[in-house]
Amino acid sequence: MEAYIRGIGNISPQHSWDNILFPGEVVRYEGNRLKCIEPDYKAYIKPIQMRRMGRILKMGVSAAGKCLRDASVDMPDAIIMGTGLGMQSDTEKFLTAILDNDEKFLTPTSFIQSTHNTVGAHIAVMLKCNKYNFTYVNDNLSFEGALLDSMMRLSDDPSEKILLAGIDEITDSYFTITKNAGFWKEDIPDNLGLLNHAGSGSIAGEGASFFIVTGEAHPDNYARFAGIDSFYKPESDKEIDDFITAFLAKRNLSLDDIDLVITGINGDPGWDSGYFRLQDTLFKGKTLAYYKHLCGEYYTSSSFASWLAAGILKTQSCPEAILLNNSKVNKPLRNILIYNHLRNTNHALILLSAC
Amino acid sequence: MEELIQKLKEEIIEVLNLEEMEPGEIDPDAPLFGEGLGLDSIDALELIVLLEKNYGIKIEDPKDGRKIFFSLRTMAEYITEHQK
Repeated sequence: MEAYIRGIGNISPQHSWDNILFPGEVVRYEGNRLKCIEPDYKAYIKPIQMRRMGRILKMGVSAAGKCLRDASVDMPDAIIMGTGLGMQSDTEKFLTAILDNDEKFLTPTSFIQSTHNTVGAHIAVMLKCNKYNFTYVNDNLSFEGALLDSMMRLSDDPSEKILLAGIDEITDSYFTITKNAGFWKEDIPDNLGLLNHAGSGSIAGEGASFFIVTGEAHPDNYARFAGIDSFYKPESDKEIDDFITAFLAKRNLSLDDIDLVITGINGDPGWDSGYFRLQDTLFKGKTLAYYKHLCGEYYTSSSFASWLAAGILKTQSCPEAILLNNSKVNKPLRNILIYNHLRNTNHALILLSAC
Repeated sequence: MEELIQKLKEEIIEVLNLEEMEPGEIDPDAPLFGEGLGLDSIDALELIVLLEKNYGIKIEDPKDGRKIFFSLRTMAEYITEHQK
């Protein structure tokens, strides 16, 4: 069960639109919230189509278009999305209108666009694609669900070209509510100092990572998804260690075969301790990296990590900005393991390998 | 009437997210749907809500919509005739 990455379209708080791994410096953000650097949408979406689109929809539609062009695919065989929050801004707009207007005078646009599957559906309408279309909404395993579905489809028919994505936006009200709940660090100077800040919480982020995946090898492929699995609320360190070891063994690999481990370290000391334990035990001696100082914490951040890993495997170069403790990078880079969890509840492993 | 048409232009630009347009660009006699402004069925629903919310006019028979929403001027005439 493998999925080769043929095309990429990425919008993130970094300069990822041109699909180059951090040209020049990584982008520094003051405070605890990272917002996407958005392209000029007018170049990609007709004004008449754009006028009803919320921000996340514009991000999704333009990143999907970029991804399809990158892969030279006109019509995908399936559109499979993962999102934690979906069309959050339109949902808020609709709910606010209900309250403000005493449940009267409700207009259709924000209602139509308040469902989680709006982005996938809108892409399908624009492409006139009436094939398989599914959106997974499973907290921080949303992208993982979409990836698993894509890989299962490709094991049935490797010739398919699937548009796979992880997408989430952070709105002002969501940010405020989660800030009050203690999700985000107070008084953090900037994102690049994430690990130097001892306070609890992380930094908020967002992004849209699109991939065309297929079961067919091709010289233009970036990398391949070679495995995905998840586990829930581990009760002991041993359970985590055993799961990671078994995940690799199922793919005839051991930790010796992993050239880089990208962890979901998000700056919250309470939750990061699990990663740091692994750094000194199971992952001891491995080249370790983290990525949430670049994109922030959000439900589908593992899709950003996947974009990062695909770029690293394709270019055989690893940006220094992601390395932990000045880890040394050994080449060739063949296998990258992404290990991410959110508040020690849903844990996920994604394996990417060079083509 | 002209004052009402000007007000409608501004409201339509806001409600239908026609951010790229200026009120002066909308011809009050041009068709709102199809040719002219090129609005669609979702816009029609937005306009029905606009009439009810801003002018207290409820369109009972959807068939009347075609005539009422032909142009900005027909909308303004209908509002003038039916506003309580």
